[in-house]
Amino acid sequence: MATIEQKGMYKVFPRSGKNVSFTHYCPGCGHGIINKLIAEACAELGLQDRTIFVDPVGCGVFTYYYWDAAHISAAHGRASAAATGACRARPDAVTIAYQGDGDLGAIGFNNAFQAASRGEKFGCIFVNNSLYGMTGGQMAPTTLDGETTTTTPFGRDPALTGHPLHVCEVFAQLKAPVYIARVSVADTRRIMQAKQAIRKVFELQRDGKGYALLEILAPCPTNFKMNAIDAAAFCINEMEKEFPLGVFRDEAKESLAVRPVPRAASCHDLFLEKDAVPAAETDSSFAERRFKFAGYGGQGILSLGLTVAEAARIERRHTLWFPSYGPEQRGGSANCSVVVSGQPIGSPTVEHPDVLVCMNQPAYERFVGDVKKGGVVIVDETVPVKVQPPEGVKLVVWPAIRMAEEFGVPKAANTMMLAALKKFDCTGLSGESLEKALVASFKKKPALGEKNRELLRLAESGKSVK
Amino acid sequence: MVLVNRENCKGCGRCVAACPKKCLEIGEELNAMGIKSVKYKGEGCISCGICFYNCPEPYALRVEK
Repeated sequence: MATIEQKGMYKVFPRSGKNVSFTHYCPGCGHGIINKLIAEACAELGLQDRTIFVDPVGCGVFTYYYWDAAHISAAHGRASAAATGACRARPDAVTIAYQGDGDLGAIGFNNAFQAASRGEKFGCIFVNNSLYGMTGGQMAPTTLDGETTTTTPFGRDPALTGHPLHVCEVFAQLKAPVYIARVSVADTRRIMQAKQAIRKVFELQRDGKGYALLEILAPCPTNFKMNAIDAAAFCINEMEKEFPLGVFRDEAKESLAVRPVPRAASCHDLFLEKDAVPAAETDSSFAERRFKFAGYGGQGILSLGLTVAEAARIERRHTLWFPSYGPEQRGGSANCSVVVSGQPIGSPTVEHPDVLVCMNQPAYERFVGDVKKGGVVIVDETVPVKVQPPEGVKLVVWPAIRMAEEFGVPKAANTMMLAALKKFDCTGLSGESLEKALVASFKKKPALGEKNRELLRLAESGKSVK
Repeated sequence: MVLVNRENCKGCGRCVAACPKKCLEIGEELNAMGIKSVKYKGEGCISCGICFYNCPEPYALRVEK
């Protein structure tokens, strides 16, 4: 005896503090039918333990109460963005974004479209009922020409609000999607086609084939102001005229290669070899030091801070590097904060540095008053010192820019500053680590790394300083 | 045969319209939600499951073959 009953859903739905076993959907809602088909496909394919549903904002919001699998609730319109993260973080998972036409077609269109264009490995199930359901039946991008909604009481006027947005047709212009189709749940034949299409979306994700979009036309009896039967008929007789059913793309043949999942880059990949990166160690005897490096963009301020942070990391200290700069790539004010500690660090921001390194006058005048008592300010000799540092703060005037020019490498002024930090032992880190970090910062240009190490040593010995 | 859980039925009538044997109807009695829910006429069901797939509720209808 085979029984036809619901699979893949929780038995009770603990909504609003009550355990019930009916959904929150209005009588005759297309969401209910679609929710059932999705849960059934997920369960019948044995994918519940592998599936991450990304739930929308809109009437579909409560699906996490219904489908027995993992869920992420996305902000309005962001289900495709959240699904991008989910499918990249868990490439073995079956990731399914569930979105409505207000959610995907309006506020979330760009991130759905871009995810499709990138061919992210998730399936997007897009429920189109031609209006905003949850908020009271306002016009959506998919509202039909002439359709009455609460915000188009005389019918949608294309002269005023344009024509309906055809999401499948637009997405079908993209290269990456492997499957794009539009189905409906208006009658039995259409529901059975939708069941097959939903199953296909799951199978494509199970097999890692790539991005799939399935649009489902759904009746909204409440906001159509119709009974369930007339609302379903409206889907067939009116919506399908504007949104014809069909398969717009189906490249998911057996021969299709599984799309490789983009490899996630770790911070370690950005700096040094992966296997040379042990975790930081906690050492309460190491006094925390806070640094501020400031100047204008292009002086190598940010990379100088990064080099100090990297030296700290080589010594297995806890460290954070935090840049701050304007919209300009070169020429604007730039500064960065570095914290080096024997303990895990709470905040990367530095309000009162122990060490301040300044490459220009505005930077010096902005930050010199913040330096802690007992701290050090290293300032380039080109900076006119019109403001004295606070009492108890040591001032070092250092010819970084001049030395770099004399060595014939004007861009190495930041390396000259590193020489000062090393010479006056400002960092609490060994000279060897600072040199290693400096060389590592030129990982892509090894010859420059050695050259800078040489310049660092020359500058530290003061040989060029006339 | 179709089995109706009247308490989960919202009385939309999709199953009544879809049933090929016309063996479902909206009843007269109210359920706890105050809805006139669907009921089986008592004969004619061929256990095709069409009502289940047309129903938006997961646990209002069940079909035993």
